[in-house]
This record gives sequence, structure tokens and C-alpha cells, in this order.
Amino acid sequence: MSSAPLLAVADDPPVSLWRDAWGRLIRNRLAVAGLVMVLVLAFAAAFGPMLTPYDFLSQNLDARNAGPSLVHLFGTDDLGRDVFSRVLYGTRTAFVVAIVVTALAVTIGVTLGATAGFFGGLFDRIIMWFTDMTMSVPNLLLVVVINASLKAPLSQWMETQYLATLNPFFRETIWIDFLLVFGSMALIAWPPYARLVRAQVLSIRSRPYITAARALGLTNRIILTRYVVPNAIGPLIVSVSAGLGTAMVLESAFSFLGVGVNPPTPSWGNMISDGLRVWQHYPHLLAVPAIVLGLATVAFSFLGDGLNDALNPRGSK
Amino acid sequence: MSETLLEVKDLTIEIATRRGPATVVDGIDLHVGKGETLGIVGESGCGKSLTMLSLLKLLPNKIRVAGGSAMFGGRDLLTLNNKELRAIRGGRIGFVFQDPMTSLNPVMRIGDQLAEPLIHHRAMSKAAARQRAGELLKLVGIPGAEQRLDAYPHELSGGMRQRVMIAIGLACDPDLLIADEPTTALDVTIQAQIVDLVKGLRQRLGMSVVWITHDLALIAGLADRICVLYAGTVVEDAPVDQLFAEPAHPYTRGLLASIPRMGAPDSARLSSIGGTPPEPGRRPAGCPFAPRCPLAEDVCRTTVPALAPLRGEATPHRVACHVANRVMEAA
Repeated sequence: MSSAPLLAVADDPPVSLWRDAWGRLIRNRLAVAGLVMVLVLAFAAAFGPMLTPYDFLSQNLDARNAGPSLVHLFGTDDLGRDVFSRVLYGTRTAFVVAIVVTALAVTIGVTLGATAGFFGGLFDRIIMWFTDMTMSVPNLLLVVVINASLKAPLSQWMETQYLATLNPFFRETIWIDFLLVFGSMALIAWPPYARLVRAQVLSIRSRPYITAARALGLTNRIILTRYVVPNAIGPLIVSVSAGLGTAMVLESAFSFLGVGVNPPTPSWGNMISDGLRVWQHYPHLLAVPAIVLGLATVAFSFLGDGLNDALNPRGSK
Repeated sequence: MSETLLEVKDLTIEIATRRGPATVVDGIDLHVGKGETLGIVGESGCGKSLTMLSLLKLLPNKIRVAGGSAMFGGRDLLTLNNKELRAIRGGRIGFVFQDPMTSLNPVMRIGDQLAEPLIHHRAMSKAAARQRAGELLKLVGIPGAEQRLDAYPHELSGGMRQRVMIAIGLACDPDLLIADEPTTALDVTIQAQIVDLVKGLRQRLGMSVVWITHDLALIAGLADRICVLYAGTVVEDAPVDQLFAEPAHPYTRGLLASIPRMGAPDSARLSSIGGTPPEPGRRPAGCPFAPRCPLAEDVCRTTVPALAPLRGEATPHRVACHVANRVMEAA
């Protein structure tokens, strides 16, 4: 590089690191397949309810447990509800939960991990101790404990609030579901992000450009947000992509076990749980949500792998 | 001698080791006048970079200043709190680092990196900072400066990146530019360009420069005065002409003798100084150079020589050596 002529000016417009990575990503077939599937699912989540003539709740007791047909693409369930509509709506639930939970977890994880890694010392040790402690608690146990201990008092509180104010907001138990699901899942999902970011920051903070930034008299906050975190973001993006898939699986698992999103709100997890009881007779009720969940997981995993190769080109060759 | 801008007195720096603190910089005295260019010369590990980094509290974790003072503009840099220090860093003292390949933020456009100190120290708007960034790039001789603002560091050659580093160092019109081996990572031809660039800028901007290097030949054409460092102490400090005309310290002479010369017979061997510098924590009792010195006497092994004017005269040429005076007279 140093032997290049000083006056050489490239004619091409500057190629940003991100555009470079994007170029590598779309050359990767699996990654593109993953990306397309993710986009289709995202589209379904956003516009799903407009794509089907049926409401996910409306029951048609004359057509219960119907098999797939042109009228009901994926058939109907034991209450005559359209499975296609329910899967679409479940996609929305999955995406909302995955995005909100991941956003919460990343915010907590990046903040704690970056500050711990950057400042080091006792602060670092306390935060990492806390992180390890959280990680050591079994996920499911934590979620069940939170649900079991908080759900009843919260419902009680909402009930009294409703009676006191008659505000219909307090009638919607869905908020409790979301609060508890989001909260408990974010609580178990942040430690890996904190560890990842801390490790990145530890390696970045001793790089010469950080010393150079300090020599410019920049504040720690600016150095952290403009010099350290942007350089740590590559592995984080990969991890977030994989994390979105994991969050969807987690949400389904919790809904399956009855500690996640509660019926009648459709979730792939509680659809699988319902379908499991009758799968010998009506296999489509189990197969459809299970296949969609599987596809979503595979899609995010392909995309994550592709992003990993695109953002760390040296590691993949 | 013009007004003094920076005066470092008795600076001592220690590094924490498993066997306890080891002294790496041992009572360095140096000063830089307004508009003066000081060359600091010494081999790797002699403490040249640490000395300069310590002035702005940029030392790595396990290395700390153990004593001394560094007066800059009437204040002791070593006693400033973080906020005061930030105003000096990049504002009144610019720093150019050794490796242009790794000293720029790889994910930030160079225009933004140039604008950063302007926004921070001068409270400039983004637009004004960008315009000034363009001017700075022009100042350091980057062709197509306006377009280069949007480039990322990896799109520039090493020489260009070092120019960007210098532009960043100059952004806020500092009183002092500290350049820590800024040409070590560059080709010889590019080195000459960078030296010329700094020479020209120094005159136009009227700033002082401290140029750290291990290359005596390079610094000869640039510095007004040269400090020779050995094992964390100043062994000789002289105006550049006097240093080259009559090097007094045996170490300086060794350095000069090891520069290859044009026209020397092919059979002539390149001279070198035998041995290696003392490890930190295992410094000899007397003169740190004594174990390698061809002229060392008994006193050298027991007593540390003080930095004193050569021949005891009123001269800016100072040397820390017991035998230098006698040797110089004999010569």
C-alpha cells in the first residue's frame, strides 16, 4: 500500500465498507435465499391480515378441522378458524416479539458490554459478574418464574385500575402478555450481546486510532459512540440476525408451554401446541405452523451466516 | 533562544512489572521554544514515544508518570484534570502518530474525522467544519481534496493517510505539533515529501514541532535542535549544526558513525554499537551507556553523569558524560 504513488486518485466513487459487504452478501446464494425468506415473512407480518378474507378469530363451526382447500388454503382448526390467517397473524406476533425483544436485549447488552469493556477495572468486573450470573440461570426457569410470580398480581392490578378508572386500556390483558413476554425474554437474551460487544471493545480500545482519537481531545462518550461501537458492529449484526431467529423459536417455545403469548392471539407456538393434540387426525394443524417456524429459523440462520461471511471476509476464506 | 513553549523537567515514567515498577524514563529534561523544531532521537525502547504520550496522559494502562513536571503555556500538563487535558489535546497540541495505516478510524470518512476536532474544540457547525476540512486537505497537499473528504481511510495510500493524519493534527492551529515517527511506515520518497510538507507548514503556521525519530539523517534537515535519548535519559542536547559538527557523547558518535556514507570504499564495514540497551528495571548504577561505551572509566560505572554544557561554557550544547570534555579537548 505504501508503495502506491502518492498522487494516485481512484476514479471510482468511494465504496463504503457497507456497500462492499453488501456486494459479498448478494453473491452468497444461501444468504440471498435466507434474505428472501426473511423479506417474505416480514411482508406477511406487515400486510398479512390484508392478504386473507378471513379474520384470525372468526369461527366457522360448519367447517371445523377442514383440510387444505382453495377456500381455506391451509385448512381450518377445531373451531373452524382459517389456519392461513392464523399463521399470517402468528408471523406478525413472532416478528413483533423477535424485534422488540432483540432491540431491548441489544440495547441493554451493547450499553453494558461497551462501557464495561471500555472502562475496564472494577466496573467491568461487576457488570461481567452480573452477566455471567444471568447466563447461568436456565432460560426457561427464569421465564416461568417471572410469569408465575408477576402475572397474577399484574392482572389483579389491571383489574382494579379498570374498576377505578373505567379506562378500557386496562381491560386488554394482551398488554400483560406482551410486557411479561418481552421483559422476560429480553432479560434472558441480553448477556450474549454484552459479552460479544465487550470482547470486541477490549480488542478495539487498544487500537492506535483510539489513542489518536483521545489525542484529539474527544470525550469518552464520543470515542465510545463514534470510534469504538461502529468498529464493533460487524459481529453484532451477525449475532442480531441469528438472535432474531432464536427469539422467534423462544417465543414459540414459551407459547407452546403456555408461558408466552396467550390464546386467542395466534402464535406459532400455541398453534403447534393445539395441533399436537390432534395431529394423528388433522396433521395439517401441526404441520403448517411447525414448517413456517422451521423456515423462519432456517432463513435467519442462513442470513446470519451470510452476513458473517460478508462482514468478516478474512474469516471465511 | 526564543520564548519557551514546553519545558519538561525531571520526567520519570515507570512501567508496572511483576517484579514491581521499573523505570523506563529516568528524569528527562527537555524544552521546546516557540516556533522551534526539536528532534528527539533514540533507538527503540529508549522512551521517546512514552515521554511525548505522557504529556497528554495517553500512556497505556500499566505505565505511569512517577515524577517531574511539564510546563506548557504556564501550566503543568501532568497535573491537569481530564477536562482541561481534553482542551489541550488536539486543541493546542496536535499529535501525529507513527502508523497511518491503523491510526485512522476505518469506518469513518476522512472528512468526518477531520471535522471531529473542529466541532469539538472550535464549536464549528458541521457545514463549516466540512469546509475547513477541505481546506486542511488542500493545505497538506492532497489532490482533489474536496472529493477525498468522502473517502474512507482504506481508499488512500499510506502517504496520503499520513497527510490526513497531519491535517487532523493541524486542524485547530495547535501551538505544538508532536510527530511520533510519522514516516517510519512510509517509503523513502514519501518520507521526503512528508518532511518537506511539515517544514513548509511549520513556517507558514508558526508552530513548534517535536519530531520523534530514530533516523538521524532524516531529522538533520528538519530540526533546529536535537535531543539524543538513551535508555530513558537525555544524553546530548544540541543545535543540529553543533551536534553533527562535534558530537560529544560516545553514544551520539556511535549513532553518527553507523550512518552509511556515500563514497566510502566498498570494503569499509558499517560501524555499529556493540551490545544492547539495558532492560528497564536492570539499569546499571552509573551511566546507562557505560556497559557499551568504548571510553567508559571507573567513575562512569558508579556515578550518573549530569546533563551539563559542553566544556562548561555558556553553550546550548549539553551532554551527559564524564569523559566527553576531556575527549573533545584531546581531539
